[in-house]
Parts: sequence; C-alpha cells; structure tokens
Amino acid sequence: MKRLLGLLENHSAALLVFGLVIAFGSTAPATFPTGSNFENIARQISLDAPMVFGQMVVLIAGGIDISVGSTMAMAASLAIGLQPFGTPVAVLGALGFGLAVGALNGLLVTKGKIVAFVATLGTMSLVRGLLLTYTGQASLVGIDPAFTFWGDGQIGPVPVSFLVVLAILLALYALLGHLRQGRNLYAIGGNQDAAFLGGVSVNKGLMMAFMLSGLMAAVSGVLVASRLNSASVQLGSDAPLMSISAALIGGASLFGGKGSIIAAFFGVLALGILNNGMNLLGVPTYTQIAVRALILIAIVVIDALATRLRRAELDSARIVE
Amino acid sequence: MNSQEVDPSRRPEGPSNKVPPAKSGGRRRHWSEPLRNHTALVLLIVLVIAGGMLSDVFLTPRNLLNILWAVSLLGIVSLGQTVLLLTARFDMSVAGVVGLAGIVTVLAQINGFGLFASIGFGLGSGLLVGLCNGVLVLATGANPFLVTLAVNLLVYSLALSLTQSKTLYATIPEFNLLGRGQLFGFLHYSVIVFLALAAGLQFVLRRTIPGRTIYVAGLNEVAGRLSGLRLQITKLSAFVLCSGLAALTGIIMTSRLNSTVASSGFGMEFDSIIAAVLGGTSLFGGRGGTLRTIVGVVVLGVINNLLVLLNVPSEAQQIAKGLVFLAVVLADSALRRS
Repeated sequence: MKRLLGLLENHSAALLVFGLVIAFGSTAPATFPTGSNFENIARQISLDAPMVFGQMVVLIAGGIDISVGSTMAMAASLAIGLQPFGTPVAVLGALGFGLAVGALNGLLVTKGKIVAFVATLGTMSLVRGLLLTYTGQASLVGIDPAFTFWGDGQIGPVPVSFLVVLAILLALYALLGHLRQGRNLYAIGGNQDAAFLGGVSVNKGLMMAFMLSGLMAAVSGVLVASRLNSASVQLGSDAPLMSISAALIGGASLFGGKGSIIAAFFGVLALGILNNGMNLLGVPTYTQIAVRALILIAIVVIDALATRLRRAELDSARIVE
Repeated sequence: MNSQEVDPSRRPEGPSNKVPPAKSGGRRRHWSEPLRNHTALVLLIVLVIAGGMLSDVFLTPRNLLNILWAVSLLGIVSLGQTVLLLTARFDMSVAGVVGLAGIVTVLAQINGFGLFASIGFGLGSGLLVGLCNGVLVLATGANPFLVTLAVNLLVYSLALSLTQSKTLYATIPEFNLLGRGQLFGFLHYSVIVFLALAAGLQFVLRRTIPGRTIYVAGLNEVAGRLSGLRLQITKLSAFVLCSGLAALTGIIMTSRLNSTVASSGFGMEFDSIIAAVLGGTSLFGGRGGTLRTIVGVVVLGVINNLLVLLNVPSEAQQIAKGLVFLAVVLADSALRRS
C-alpha cells in the first residue's frame, strides 16, 4: 500500500501520460497517433503550460493561486485591447498587469496574513470585475497580424508557442533546481517556521512565488490572445482547477514543499492528451467535465493520504529514537 | 449577546490568559469593542443612512422589502455555509447543488410524482451530495476547498446531462406558491423561511450540545476529542446541512422562476462565503453565528441595491464585491491576531 501510494505520487504524471497514450492509441488508432495530432496537442498545451508552471511554483512554496484564470483573461484582453498603442506596449502592459496581481496576492498573504486561497479568491473576483468593466463583456479583436506569430506561428514543424514554453521551462528549472532563491521555496513550503529560523526570508520567497505565478498566467493570456487574435471574458474560467490539477498530477502537494517544473510539464501534457483524446472519441462535454472532476478528487485524496502516511512514519520514527 | 459569548470561548487560546486577571475578575472592555465585534451592523447603518441621502427610492418600505426578498435565497445558502465555516471548513459545491436540486425536483414532477415527493427528491439529492463531500473530506483529510470544488464540477456535469443543457419547466401549479407566495400580501415566504432558519439555527448552535460541538470542532479539535465529543458525526452533519440548505434554495429558486437550468446557482458559492464572513463568522472556525449572517447578507443586498439605484453598471458591481470581500477578510485576519 505504502509503496503503491509512493509510486502513484512520485511518477503519477509520467505514468498517466504513458497510460493515456496507449489507451487513446488503441481506441482511436486512425486519428490519435498522427504527426498532425501531436502537433495539435503541443499547440494546445503550450497555452496552458506557463500558467501551470506558475501554479507549481506557488504550490511548492506552500501557497495556491486561484486568481490565475481571471489574470490570464485580463492579460489576454490587455494584449489585444492595448494594440492601438503598439503591440510591444500591449504585451508589456499585459505582463505588467500579471506581475501586479501577483504582487497584490503576495502582499495579502505576507502582510495581510490571509490564507493563500482566500486571498487569491478575492483577487480573482476583483480581477474578473476589472475584466468585465474593461471589456464591457464584449469580445476584443486584434489589429496587428504580426502579433499572431507567437501563438499561431511555427518554425519548421514546431509551434513557436511550444518553443516559448521550452525556454520558460529551462529558466524555471534553473531557478528551482540550482538557484538559492528557488531552493528556498522548497524550504518555505516544507516548513515555514524552520525556513525562517534557518535564515530564509519567507516573505520575499512568497512574494517571488506569487509574482511569478501572476506573470506566468499573463504569459498564458498573451499566448492565447496571440493564438486566437482575439480575447473574450469567457477565457480562463476553468483555469484555476486545470492548473491545480496539472500541478498536482505533476507531483506537487497542497501541503507544500514538493514538485518540479519538469513534472508540471508532464502534468499539463497528461491533461492535454486526455482532452485531445476525449475530443477525438467524441465524448460529450458533460462527461469530459465529470472525468476532469473525478481526476481532481482522486489526486487530492491521494495527496492527503500520502501526506498522512508520511507524517505517521515520521512520528513513529521519532518514538523509536 | 454574541460579543459576550464569543470572547470567553476564544480566550483560552490567546496569550491574554497568561496575564493575571484584574481585581474585578475580568478584562476591562475597550469602548470600541462592541463596534469591532459588529462591524457589519455598523456598516449596514452607515449604508442605510448614505442610501437614504443618495436616493429617494431607497428608504421606501417597498424597496426595503425588495432587498430582503432579493437576498433571501442567497441567505439560506449562506446559513449552511456559516455552520460549516464554524467548523473551519467550507463548501464550494453549493452552486452546483442549487442547480441540481431544482432540476431533480422538476424532473420528478415531469415524471408524475406529486408536489411533496418531488420536493423530497430535490432535497434528497442535496443531502446526498453533502454526504459525499463530508465523507471525502473527513475520511481522508483532503483539502475541503478543492474536493468540494471538484464535486461542484461533478454535480454540474450531472445536472447538464440530466437536462441535456435545456431549460426545464415545473408542471405542478401549486409549486409556485413556495417562491412567489406572500404572507399578508407583502412578506414573501422565502424571506420568512430565511429568517426562521437563521433564528432556529442560532438557537441550536448556542443552546444544544450538537450546536456547541460545532464551535469546538472549529476551535480546538483535540480538546473536543479528549472531552468525548462526537466530532466526526457533527462535522459530517455540518456538510450535510450545508448541502441540504443549498438544495432548499435551489427548490425555492425554481419555484420562483417556474423553471431551472444547470447553472442557476453559479456564483453563490463565493457570495455565500462573503456574506457569512461579512457578518462576522471567521474563516478559521469557531467564531460567528447565523444571526450575524442575516446582517452580512443584507449588507450585500443593500450594496447591490444602491449600485443599481445609482445606475452603476453591473460590471462594476463585481469589482465592489471583490473589494468588499478582501476588506472583510483582511479585517477578519487582523481581528484573529489581535
């Protein structure tokens, strides 16, 4: 039981990707394992991946970010809506907005001492209000054809957005794996008090994590806007759950201190393949929603049981001493 | 009454019990303490005065009754949310349950069941969801926020598949009485149900052992367990009650509109938490009550009503809601630390 839980927890994403590829490859042999479909999947997950990376960083630091969906939608709207001032201004405005929301989240958590998901639930509502006011609930359409290069263009057979994601992946991998600021996030997520006593600046780390998450949500928003060359208020409504699911599948824990960017990539890949496969098989929308919900319940429960088991082990080890 | 009862129950946790008591045997109360304990009430009074000055229509009895009528549905959901919040947990699936209960009720009517049987089916569907939530969260220690959020999706997809994404219409004419009927021609039944439930729940919470156990579950589970209180079953009942009240809301809403769609409860999960916390129920459990939630719900209703009367675009109301929520949560967190 213990070994099974550990296996499920540590390699769930890679196992799930593997299982899904086999399942869909055998049930939809004509449409699923084709070059153009894999290109499709790469395109689709590239839009979600930055946001999932951001969520992963926050989860590692022991937080959670519910506001990613509305931040992404607002960033997409800004990236389109500010184009009359020049596309660079629009993109910078969108990314800057993401950073600002992240900073607000960070301040609410570090200075306001509000639990992360409550704080980000509040900013989610606030940002959605800003979004509705800014767009007047109308769809915005882009005026700069060159802007679509990032989300829709490709170099050879590889989508540009996928290359963007790979670049971000490498940068975040270096941060979390090899830089002190990144390593500190694991310490903060694992045990905030111990990290503080060990000389880690907890507040700075949390601020960084939330700002990264806001920025990454905005990157996703810019990519989506570039892909569609438009933005609407409906964007990102399922993003909070999607990003949390992907990160948890990628080995993150709601109790903090665990996970990696590579695994987050596998998490988003698993969800991408799942969606793609269900669409190819013609699964009705409501069944797809139910499947995603069941997966989330399963991983949250596995996460809780595995954490409980680990703690029980720690306790018994302490008694033996 | 609230302020006196809440304080002693919090004191054992705070650092203040290390200070030897003063001569009179108690801490002297700061003059502002009643104000701080009832911020929502103060806010309500300020809003009502401001509303009276800003708009001619606001203080008319008709408008005030309208506000009560408008918030009574959210109010009933918020009452359940309040009880669950007292145990330091909450339920994001109320939105889905509101939709599902209405749909199940109408489907039962379409399939030939009588008035009371159909309402029973609707309520039953809610209780069942609550049981699922409770068992999932309590048996595994999983994060209640994400579990109930996922259950919400599950319930929503079930409702979508039951309706095939269509609007369903109630078939029994008397069913409308519940949502549209008025006592003495001016007081809607839903308002009476809301206020009666709030008072009844407050009594149970304050004066009965299961009710007091709910506070203990939120304040100090270890102490509760060592005292031999039946915490697990109490927490499970809180989940079931919360979903049950959401189902009741869905049924009344359906009866008011005579029709229902799967998404009819959207947003209520968020609003019910705002209303409860605004009223002074803590997100961290153990502090608050259902009478306070009446005030919280009414404050939300007054804000919405004023924004409409002042012709503020509906989009800006969402901003106002977000700001109010953040302000309230910040205040809650500050109050907890003080």
